[in-house]
Amino acid sequence: MRLRLEGIRLRREGFELNIPELEVGEGEFMTLLGPSGCGKTTTLRIIAGFERAEGRVFFDGEDVTKRPPYERNIGIVFQDYALFPHMTVFDNVAFGLRLRKLSKAEIEREVREVLSLVGLEGLENRYPEQLSGGQQQRVALARALIIRPRLLLLDEPLSNLDAKIRERLRGEVKRVQRELGVTTVYVTHDQEEAMAISDRIAVMKDGRIIQVGRPLELYYRPKDEFVARFLGTGNILLLEAKNGRACLGSLCFDTEGEGKVRVFFRPESVFIMQGEEADVVDYELLPGRMRLFLEVEGQRIVAERFIPELPFSPERVPKKVGVRVGDYLILSP
Amino acid sequence: MRAMVGRRFWVLLLLPSLLFLVLFFYYPIALILLDGLSWGSLSSVLANPYYRHVILFTIEQAIGSTVLTLLLGLPGAYLFAKYDFPGKRFLKALLTVPFVMPSIMVALGFILLFGRSGFITSLLGRDLGVLYSWKAILLAHAFYNFPVVVRMVSSLWARINPHYEEAAESLGARGFTLFRRVTLPMLYPAIFASSMLTFIFSFLSFAIPLILGGYRYGTIEVAIFTSIMTLLDFRTGAALAVLQMGLSFTFMYLYLKSLDAYSKAEEQRVLQRPRKLTLSDFRGLRGAGIVLYSLIVFLFILAPLLAVFYDSLTSSGHFTLKWYRHLFESSYNPIFGSDSLHAVIWTFVFGFSTVLLATLIALTMSYSSRRWDLPGKIIFDVLATLPLGSSAIIIGLGYIKAFHRPPLLLLGSPFLIIAAHTTIAYPFALRAVSAALKKVRPSLREAAMSLGASDLLAFLKVELPLAFGGIVVGAVFSFAMSVAELGATYMIYQPKYTTVTIAIYRYLGSRQFGPASAMAVVLMLVSMAGFLVIERTGEEVW
Ligand SMILES: Nc1ncnc2c1ncn2[C@@H]1O[C@H](COP(=O)(O)OP(=O)(O)OP(=O)(O)O)[C@@H](O)[C@H]1O
Ligand SMILES: [Mg+2]
Repeated sequence: MRLRLEGIRLRREGFELNIPELEVGEGEFMTLLGPSGCGKTTTLRIIAGFERAEGRVFFDGEDVTKRPPYERNIGIVFQDYALFPHMTVFDNVAFGLRLRKLSKAEIEREVREVLSLVGLEGLENRYPEQLSGGQQQRVALARALIIRPRLLLLDEPLSNLDAKIRERLRGEVKRVQRELGVTTVYVTHDQEEAMAISDRIAVMKDGRIIQVGRPLELYYRPKDEFVARFLGTGNILLLEAKNGRACLGSLCFDTEGEGKVRVFFRPESVFIMQGEEADVVDYELLPGRMRLFLEVEGQRIVAERFIPELPFSPERVPKKVGVRVGDYLILSP
Repeated sequence: MRAMVGRRFWVLLLLPSLLFLVLFFYYPIALILLDGLSWGSLSSVLANPYYRHVILFTIEQAIGSTVLTLLLGLPGAYLFAKYDFPGKRFLKALLTVPFVMPSIMVALGFILLFGRSGFITSLLGRDLGVLYSWKAILLAHAFYNFPVVVRMVSSLWARINPHYEEAAESLGARGFTLFRRVTLPMLYPAIFASSMLTFIFSFLSFAIPLILGGYRYGTIEVAIFTSIMTLLDFRTGAALAVLQMGLSFTFMYLYLKSLDAYSKAEEQRVLQRPRKLTLSDFRGLRGAGIVLYSLIVFLFILAPLLAVFYDSLTSSGHFTLKWYRHLFESSYNPIFGSDSLHAVIWTFVFGFSTVLLATLIALTMSYSSRRWDLPGKIIFDVLATLPLGSSAIIIGLGYIKAFHRPPLLLLGSPFLIIAAHTTIAYPFALRAVSAALKKVRPSLREAAMSLGASDLLAFLKVELPLAFGGIVVGAVFSFAMSVAELGATYMIYQPKYTTVTIAIYRYLGSRQFGPASAMAVVLMLVSMAGFLVIERTGEEVW
């Protein structure tokens, strides 16, 4: 199913959500990424129909703005899972089917099927409080999927879990989504998670979508400083451009405009060689990699390289090194 | 269109409840205001030294009751917050008992304990002068309210992050200074809210001062009752009612504000584990304190009940069952103008009807309040809460005014009694139900709706089952209040519809304690059943 938002506006005290347009394609995994309070949950709730706003919501070209949530056929996984505490796992998962008046045998079969899809067999008779966080998360996913939703909405479904389980489960969410081919909108404020599972990401800030694109596109071609910084460590140099070139010492960049420009590049785009152009201010050893904090003409640059690529031994880091910048981008002012 | 109806279905559900409220609360109250809210009647009441004395006494005894209640409740709050000791569960259950005990029965118990030939009087060999004075009033009010103090204050005390106290200790605060400067200020919300509740309870108290206060110690509530029932002076009654309402609405407002502050403070989730005390700990001062306090609570709560029970089985010092035999006789009793069997039957009829109506009203109102998406929610909430600040006697007075002539000639009808009981009881049911509903996370309802449940279905299938304990507690409270109701019923009933509570009151008037006690034991059994139901729900009511 294709999801389309048009002219969404919602005003609250001290907050305004404004999404002129957003489209999620058939079977696409779209992630809303942004800092806390930027309006991710609100957007999701507008799509689900829990929140009223100006503008219109389309499912496959059909205007569903006026439809109540229970007629939209959407699956939602809430941040706190929202499992019904007075029902067993089986009853929780069967809830949506019972409302659809399926026969007992059918319900039984479907529940087994979806529980095996999320890898949760044999826990049917437990109550939510008797499950671990990860298991609860799977039940919530199963409950949302069993109604064969046209659209799957996930609001930070992994944020209550610890790091290890989070990584494993995000892979499973992605696998299940791909297997079923269900159009999905996923909310998170974890950029790594977003990069790992999304087809496309919409970066949000203060109630607006700043940029939409594929993960690598956003990572290497951010539209502005906010996106650049939000998606990981980045170097931004403020330079003066003359005749289509901006230089920092012997490091030169091609620019289109003249005057003040901001040059952006990722730490892994900085190559280290022998030389004298940059002072090594400090360094950190990461698993298999080294992060170097350099200074060129008074400006800081962060570089990151695999250890075998370094022209020196990690035991003996020189005071000065040479630098080259591979892939870079001139940020719009 | 279907969606509109689905989303605003609560309006349809709310209408009957609102209609009830307007007809059986706001209309009668408006008539009282119309009559009493005039310069002439107000100033003539205020110019009368007797009524000035009554108003002053009402406030004084409410303050006194609050202080006594705090003195009795705070040590318990400390013990409950800090320690786990053998018998704590039992003590906690015991503290729930006053919630369901009718005040007429407690008043009777006090008479049997402190009267001229009472148990305590004969035990000490002299009359303490408790009865028919302010002392009995204060004691009975403390009986009802000190469990509230224990509950609220201990709940907050157990939530004080131990790091605060430890930080203060590391800075040099110790002992009483530590308590006064650090711990006590954090307990203020609980102390203030429970004090306000005690104050309002005592301020609006009727049966206790009526029976235990004698001639000299009446509250405004009693004064309204006498001015109408014996002096037939409606003008003075209405003026007093207006004064009382003005004050009690103010107090009620303060109480609700303080309750907000309390709930906010209570939301903190750092629950300290109380220290487990073993039997060997009981040798020290702390153990002695716990034993002493448990003993006092035990005696204070059970003594009036035991006195009533004992008295129901004796006649001039000898064991007898004749009072109970009288209970099952269906012969006309001239003291209350009906027979005991019918009194029991009517008590149950009124009780169950009240439970049904009050629960329905509470459910529709809390559902609507949760779904309210139109302007004016605050007004609705205020309108729904105001009856909490009125009183039984004011309801009675209003009903006499409103329903004494066609087309609304309802005076003397059993339906009017049910309406009165419902009006008095539903705010408590509403509070119990909404408190339970508030604990249900909103995401659960949304999850149900995303799975295809309509709004009402989500309420019925998810929110309601999860709030079931609160609904049961509300129902038990409604039943207990209906069964115990004296003032309003007395003002609007006919002898045919005498209830157990009214029968006891009539017996007390003619100083027949034996049959009064046997009837009170019936009430006690009914209340005990309610108590057991509450215990079964596991819901924290105290
Ligand atoms: N029920 C509400 N009433 C009023 N304001 C709200 C409500 N819920 C959220 N807000 C405000 O709306 C703005 C957007 O909130 P939203 O929950 O959409 O943010 P979010 O991006 O999901 O943040 P987070 O990552 O913390 O979950 C915030 O400023 C928030 O304070
Ligand atoms: Mg959120």
